[in-house]
Amino acid sequence: MIDARLLESLDNATKDCISCGFCESVCPTLPASDYDLSRGARGRVLLGRALYKDLKEKGATEVNVADSFYSCLDCFACVHVCPAGVNAGEVSDIAKEIITATGSPLESQKKNVATMIVNSTMKYGNPLGLRKKAASWSEGLEFDGSSKTLLYTGNMYQLMPFSKSMGAMKAKLGNRAAERIAGYFKSHPQFIKLSGMFQDRTTREEMENSLRNIYALLRKSGADFNYLGEKEPYPGTFLYDLGYMEEFKEYANTVADLFRSEGVRRIITIDPHTHNVLKNNYPGVVKNFDFEIVYYLDLLDNKMFEPGEEDIEYHEPCYFTLREPVYREPEKTLSLAGNVHKPRRSGKNNFCCGGPSELLYPELAHSVSERRREQLEAGRGRRVVTACPICYANLNRDRDVTDIANYLSEHIKG
Amino acid sequence: MDLKDELRSIAGNHVFSAKEEIIPFLSDASYFTGDEPIAVVVPGTAEEVSKIMAVCSRTETPVVVRGGGTSLTGASVLKGNGIVISMNRFDHVLETSVEDKYVVAEPGVRLDELNYHLEQFGHFYPPDPASSRAATVGGSLSTNAGGLRAAMYGTTKNWVLGMEVVMPDGQVLQFGGKTLKRTSGYDLTSLMVGAEGTLGIITKAILKIWPLPETKGRAVAYYKSIESVGEAVSELKRLGITPMIAEFLDRLTMNSITRNKGLKFPQDAEYMLIIDVASTRESVERELSGAADVLKKFGPIEVTTTTDSGEMEVMYEARKGAYASLLTERERSTQRVVIGDIVVPASKLADTLKESIEKMKELGIHSGLVGHVGDGNIHANIYADLEDEDEMERVEKFQREFGAIAIRHQGSVSAEHGIGMEKMDLLIDEFEGKHSLGTLELMKKIKRVFDPGDILNRGKLLRR
Ligand SMILES: Cc1cc2nc3c(=O)[nH]c(=O)nc-3n(C[C@H](O)[C@H](O)[C@H](O)COP(=O)(O)OP(=O)(O)OC[C@H]3O[C@@H](n4cnc5c(N)ncnc54)[C@H](O)[C@@H]3O)c2cc1C
Ligand code: SF4
Ligand code: SF4
Repeated sequence: MIDARLLESLDNATKDCISCGFCESVCPTLPASDYDLSRGARGRVLLGRALYKDLKEKGATEVNVADSFYSCLDCFACVHVCPAGVNAGEVSDIAKEIITATGSPLESQKKNVATMIVNSTMKYGNPLGLRKKAASWSEGLEFDGSSKTLLYTGNMYQLMPFSKSMGAMKAKLGNRAAERIAGYFKSHPQFIKLSGMFQDRTTREEMENSLRNIYALLRKSGADFNYLGEKEPYPGTFLYDLGYMEEFKEYANTVADLFRSEGVRRIITIDPHTHNVLKNNYPGVVKNFDFEIVYYLDLLDNKMFEPGEEDIEYHEPCYFTLREPVYREPEKTLSLAGNVHKPRRSGKNNFCCGGPSELLYPELAHSVSERRREQLEAGRGRRVVTACPICYANLNRDRDVTDIANYLSEHIKG
Repeated sequence: MDLKDELRSIAGNHVFSAKEEIIPFLSDASYFTGDEPIAVVVPGTAEEVSKIMAVCSRTETPVVVRGGGTSLTGASVLKGNGIVISMNRFDHVLETSVEDKYVVAEPGVRLDELNYHLEQFGHFYPPDPASSRAATVGGSLSTNAGGLRAAMYGTTKNWVLGMEVVMPDGQVLQFGGKTLKRTSGYDLTSLMVGAEGTLGIITKAILKIWPLPETKGRAVAYYKSIESVGEAVSELKRLGITPMIAEFLDRLTMNSITRNKGLKFPQDAEYMLIIDVASTRESVERELSGAADVLKKFGPIEVTTTTDSGEMEVMYEARKGAYASLLTERERSTQRVVIGDIVVPASKLADTLKESIEKMKELGIHSGLVGHVGDGNIHANIYADLEDEDEMERVEKFQREFGAIAIRHQGSVSAEHGIGMEKMDLLIDEFEGKHSLGTLELMKKIKRVFDPGDILNRGKLLRR
């Protein structure tokens, strides 16, 4: 049986659509899938509508809807052009929640890779069970153990080298084989740690370099903070993104309890996804989630940057531009150290890097990022700067992309 | 080999037949739901299209061609059995010649993308239906799309020089060419414009382009009576002032724009008329004040002018988004905004508008009136509850009457949206009104010559 509340949300999210196709024209996954309409925004809303009708009338569906919704990047580009105010990204979120809910009639449509990630996160506090590796960047750095302010990496930078090599592996194996392997990991989560062997070494070095630069930028700005090291849990973003709301709720509460037991009052986040999940999703599932969440760029002493003349092409993170409130600090800070240019598809018309699909649909993610690279490069040849580790890992195909922390670190006075 | 296998042997994995892949192709922007196709093919080359058509011709399989799927008349969904061919992968601009004033584009290129490309050459392609972000070259050619700028530049048909077409039997033919003029036999390019995918499949289009106007100016007038709007537009025309855009909106539409976009309008204005002139920097002010003087003759509540591009852009987007604003004000989600689309000679505008409003009142139709009045095109944006039989009946009746008003004033039942499944009877009305049903018979004969098996977009445009 499907929770009546979920069904009602699906009804509300889809019923206003008039099928004008405007959303399709901005949805990155549509051209990237070679125009399989079920992998485009309008297709998702129409399938959401069909799913709603089936569930309401028959309590089940024979339509295999999972790939349509799971391939959504959740970028929210579509909602900004919809004349009827429909959000295909939100439709995908609700549909994923329906698929993964306990006792769902769509149980068989669950994705093994997703379940594997969920099981491992629940068991180890990290999608790949890699807590130790996630802390290695901080070796030799000093933290203030008594500070109530926490530098919280959320493990996002650290996961990129693995997600990249797993995505590549999955693309090589093909979806079916990957699903079978994931099916095995799903029931034997202890072996997931082996995935630690599959990491893209260069990406790992680059990511650790960014983390150390973020640390240094904050320290130079006079910030004192603690870091949980190997104890630091992943925030559970995947659980939320994959629609595992029951698990997300349970997990978020354990993370919040840990913060409390460590005496944390203020949390410094360093990537848009972790920032968003703590700021916007945790308060909905954790009672009295009253921590102050600040983004690291807000804490930087802007006087330390040297004005730069370099023309740079800035790729904005969807979470900071396509959702409210818009967060402009990355661009503002970058402009202190360079001439910021943006591709046509920026701001409310931003084009995602494809990263959110990397684990489940690596080929689609690759195709989206190829298109984004073309937009960024079109006739320019400027250095591309990103402000999110996922964007960085996905766009940095030819080692020609720079993370904002690294760019800023290059431009410190003196 | 069954049909799907044969299609796969041509287009590889660009053939969809699973239920979830098919569902999105059952809808376009109209209120019709299509029948389920046996398969959807998304070919990538004209050669593939040709092979697919040869198979469909041999197996007598009906075909619907689809571009952006923004049709308002059910033209891009399947009726009966058959397959859908989606042209979305044809999404490249192939060649641009500023010197010879043309661009060669594939049919799946969306109009806004085409114009973004041309902007970099200081040029543009004028047809601009309000759906331009999603509508494609192929679809807009096939519906002879108009839009806001048609007042000055005319509709799509004025901008098509030539095309490559795959015929129902698979032949690949070239119509027209790259020159701005030619007299070389029957003008088959023009025949394809507005053919709604019933004669052949466009796989390439050669389109005329134009330099972007140096500058623009806008005059806005508010009136109490609809006659003033009609008369003002007619007078502009009579005096030889050709605005780039001449749009009018009624109070219902203004109110909804106020609520949705925050724009304010004078309180007692019932109608708003927007006149844009495109000109050189030196003469724009003069032309603008000329237009404003005309607008002032017809008892306006207020007339304003501006050359501020930011201010003009806000209003342009609000007008283009008028349909969206009306949509957000639906009382029930089963309601649609069905669009009536007629055209009359500019001199008949005042009478046409008056009669249309009377008819709306008589039939209890809840509708906003807007229009590209520069070319005599009026849209009725009608709230219609698809699940309310009585209301749908009244809406249908109004559409028929709205068409009849146009016919009476020597206009047409379809200005720019086409016939599709929606207006086949109205099309008959139009030619009956002209005592020229023979024209329709001739169209049917032409259709038979192009498509003897009646496989292309069967059940649309012409009643069998
Ligand atoms: C919100 C909204 C506003 C609109 N405003 C306007 C407006 O201002 N002016 C206006 O004129 N129209 C307007 N329309 C109608 C519609 O957008 C246009 O008719 C548009 O030109 C259709 O383009 P498309 O690519 O979506 O075509 P589709 O809907 O996919 O197809 C339309 C027709 O063209 C045929 N076709 C498509 N591609 C090919 C091809 N390659 N070869 C042969 N036949 C083909 C199809 O079979 C079908 O018959 C509006 C629609 C919406 C939803
Ligand atoms: S833009 Fe909105 S109304 Fe149009 S098809 Fe997409 S969801 Fe539906
Ligand atoms: S959220 Fe992004 S990927 Fe998902 S439907 Fe909208 S535009 Fe497409």
